[in-house]
Amino acid sequence: MPLVDIDLIIGGPQGGGIDSAAQIVIRAFSIAGYEAYGIREYYSNIKGRHSYFHVRIKETPVRSLRYPVDLLVCLDYESPFVHMDDVSEKTKVLYDEDLINTKLDQVLTMEPETKKHVMDKLKADGFDTTLAGAINYMKKKGATPYPVSFRSLVVGALGPNKPPARYANTLGASLAMALLGLPAEFTSRGIESVFGKKKEVVEDNEKIIKAGYDFVKSHNNVNIKELPVRPAKDKYILTGNEAVGIGKVIGGLKLQTYYPITPAADESFFLEGHDYFETSMGDEIDKENEVLKNTGVVVVQAEDEISAIAMAISGAMTGTRTATGTSGPGFSLMAEAIGYAGINEVPVVVTLYQRGGPSTGLPTRNSQADLMFAINAGHGEFPKIVYSSGDVPEAIYDAVRVFNYAEKFQVPVIHILDKNLANSFFLVDKLDYGKVKIERWKLVEDGENIERFKFTDDGVSPMGLLGKNIIWLTGDEHSELGHITEDPETRDAMMVKRMTKLQTILKEIPEEEQVELIGDLTADVTILSWGSNKGVILSVFEQLKSEGISANLVYVKLMNPFPAELVSKYLSRAKVLIDLENNYTGQLATLVKQNCGIDVQNFILKYNGRHTTDDEVYEGIKRVLEKKEKKVVMIRGA
Amino acid sequence: MAELNKKPEDFAIFSGIGCSAKTPHYINAPGMHTLHGRVIPFATGVKLANPNLTVIADGGDGDLLSIGAGHFVAAGRRNVDMTIIIHNNGVYGLTKGQASPTMPRGEKTKGLQRPNILDSLNPVALALSVGYTFVARAFSFDVKNTKDIIMKAVKHRGTSVIDLLQPCPTYNDINTKEWYEERIYYLDKDPTWDPVVKDATSEASEEKFIQAIKKSLEWGDKIPLGVLYQNDLVPSYGDRISDHLLNYFEVPPSSSPILNEEGNPVARMETIFTDRLIRR
Repeated sequence: MPLVDIDLIIGGPQGGGIDSAAQIVIRAFSIAGYEAYGIREYYSNIKGRHSYFHVRIKETPVRSLRYPVDLLVCLDYESPFVHMDDVSEKTKVLYDEDLINTKLDQVLTMEPETKKHVMDKLKADGFDTTLAGAINYMKKKGATPYPVSFRSLVVGALGPNKPPARYANTLGASLAMALLGLPAEFTSRGIESVFGKKKEVVEDNEKIIKAGYDFVKSHNNVNIKELPVRPAKDKYILTGNEAVGIGKVIGGLKLQTYYPITPAADESFFLEGHDYFETSMGDEIDKENEVLKNTGVVVVQAEDEISAIAMAISGAMTGTRTATGTSGPGFSLMAEAIGYAGINEVPVVVTLYQRGGPSTGLPTRNSQADLMFAINAGHGEFPKIVYSSGDVPEAIYDAVRVFNYAEKFQVPVIHILDKNLANSFFLVDKLDYGKVKIERWKLVEDGENIERFKFTDDGVSPMGLLGKNIIWLTGDEHSELGHITEDPETRDAMMVKRMTKLQTILKEIPEEEQVELIGDLTADVTILSWGSNKGVILSVFEQLKSEGISANLVYVKLMNPFPAELVSKYLSRAKVLIDLENNYTGQLATLVKQNCGIDVQNFILKYNGRHTTDDEVYEGIKRVLEKKEKKVVMIRGA
Repeated sequence: MAELNKKPEDFAIFSGIGCSAKTPHYINAPGMHTLHGRVIPFATGVKLANPNLTVIADGGDGDLLSIGAGHFVAAGRRNVDMTIIIHNNGVYGLTKGQASPTMPRGEKTKGLQRPNILDSLNPVALALSVGYTFVARAFSFDVKNTKDIIMKAVKHRGTSVIDLLQPCPTYNDINTKEWYEERIYYLDKDPTWDPVVKDATSEASEEKFIQAIKKSLEWGDKIPLGVLYQNDLVPSYGDRISDHLLNYFEVPPSSSPILNEEGNPVARMETIFTDRLIRR
């Protein structure tokens, strides 16, 4: 068992530096040789509403979170109220004692529904509906409160002229790491890693760190054991958005189009910050072609998502690797153009970050409810690939893969991810370039009258490009030359040609890229799942294993065309089969029923938009196994 | 094309949906027949990926000014180096003659059940007000003049738009060939007419802009044809990109190398994303 396994939450107002505080914690622990993983939960709001970071730190790789947490850092007056059920007897609760008399009514940022739920709980247990009441509620659960006057600590450290609110995040992070026993030197390096080495900033932060550590030393009523420093190596800290961006750039992205939307826009924004760079074709070629060394990615903010997908589609027809990124509402607008890419066999990549729907739904919260929509987007029948990623390393490699798929099979590819992955932080190693290959299409020769849609056995025609060949494209049914035709025989042949690609794709994509079976085929329990819950599920498997329960995960990545034979092979041996997803209907289970004829009977689902945690997945599996419950709905999260 | 000294494959001809949308299929040059209203973003994507191509976008008045109006507005702000031709006939011909955005209120063409209930918009004034840097009008039955205007438009560095008056012989029995011929006149017949902005000051462009807006309001007994406004001093979108992607024109996206001889990527995480590296 690992010695260190810490879950913490840092809560505060949106725009109040919560992101920086979490970055400091993750970077500081990483520099000290620990592994970390975190996720950001926030409202659709610029400033003021409650946001929080949930982070876990271990000695071994970590990619899931759990409740109750070990440390709750409350940087605002809302945090103690909304997180009062996230604690237990092991939890340390750090809060601002200057706010202790705040009445629940005074918490203006809180939604009335949430306020009522909190009030009911406090009243039911006989506590005041004040911040003091919330602290006492947590005390009753066994938590240890640590009252701190943020204001006096900042004023004590920096004098009266610096606004205390601006330092709440560095102070909160310092206090947290002092309480956890991380040597101050690493906190200091973590802060420097986030804010840089500007002299005045460093000086102020050093004073804040000292104030935090001194406070814990002098006021602490329990002994804090200093954490051992571990051997460390350089790591990248990446969100899912950034991982996709990096994978795209490595995969040869040259044109990215987008219209701002949460939670997809961060990817394009990140690309804009890294759009001009040096590449290397090998020393000799570089020497001869100096001009080729510095190239970049054209990132275009379009006027809407229809424009974004249209630009990406036509750009792809010049031989450029193009992509667009969006979320549910934007993807809805793209549906018609995806059909255009389908009938014209255009290799374009659409990165789809799912968020809570329908309509505007829960714009900043998680969901896996767009799987069926992604598969069926666009009217008529045409081949497209829908491919899913579940963690940051996967997202990097998959972003390259989906370009290869798009060009090799000349189909649109929907790369489907979710908000949890988009907004979670992973620590990852340098890339293994041996695993990264770029595969492109068969290209036709120069010349006129190119049959861009030539009939072939596998359905894939030699590619013709704008700027190289004389080709025609049309959204109408067309001849091999690309001119409009309504001739019934040509229509039949074109339908067969295009739809044949579905078999070609299943035949040519390696099995391990389609579905992963993680665990022993003969396990006691089989989980069917996809996307960002992979980490949580595998983490819970370790827990089950220690109790003598073996489990396996059938983790589907290729969603369309559906790898029915492979999935059937893995599922047919299942003793107890449970579908686990972040949607209401169990969409992957529906796909399995439709394609494999296997009727999944047990479900663990979550659709409140919050991240799934170890404790609730563990409880869900237990309820299915022991209480024979058919459907468990997970409800955790503030 | 021949007079521009270009090969067919140097072009990319785009169209939306409607009668005008068949255009690419009639031309022996690469063509992309796209979606209703979306011809501008499709044309834009190709030009951004391969700025060496000469891009022409053909759309109808319904295509560009109704379903695609948002793109028409955005394109004025972007100034991508391409030409947009509005095939303007006042009706939706392929769906049996419904009123388009350029048909005046109260007109009743033979395809309509009752007189048009919507006011028309002014394509030239709209183009001017959203920043198009070349705005012209031509009449399709004057082939020579139309060709001259198209050539001027293609040579302009930036987005050029041509309001091409084009009678629909089937459904528009008001704005006929004869109706136009009685009204059109050529601006360049007047030796004092000069639509070109001469220097980059705002006064200079404002003067030409106001002159063009005034001309755009002439519709009725007299309909002016020719170049109404031309400003070559506004950087094109490509020029703006090349401000930070310094080799954009020399090595555009469509010809940037992405893999080496072994099939491995040429872009490396270690050189590009150093800001995400936590050093121990």
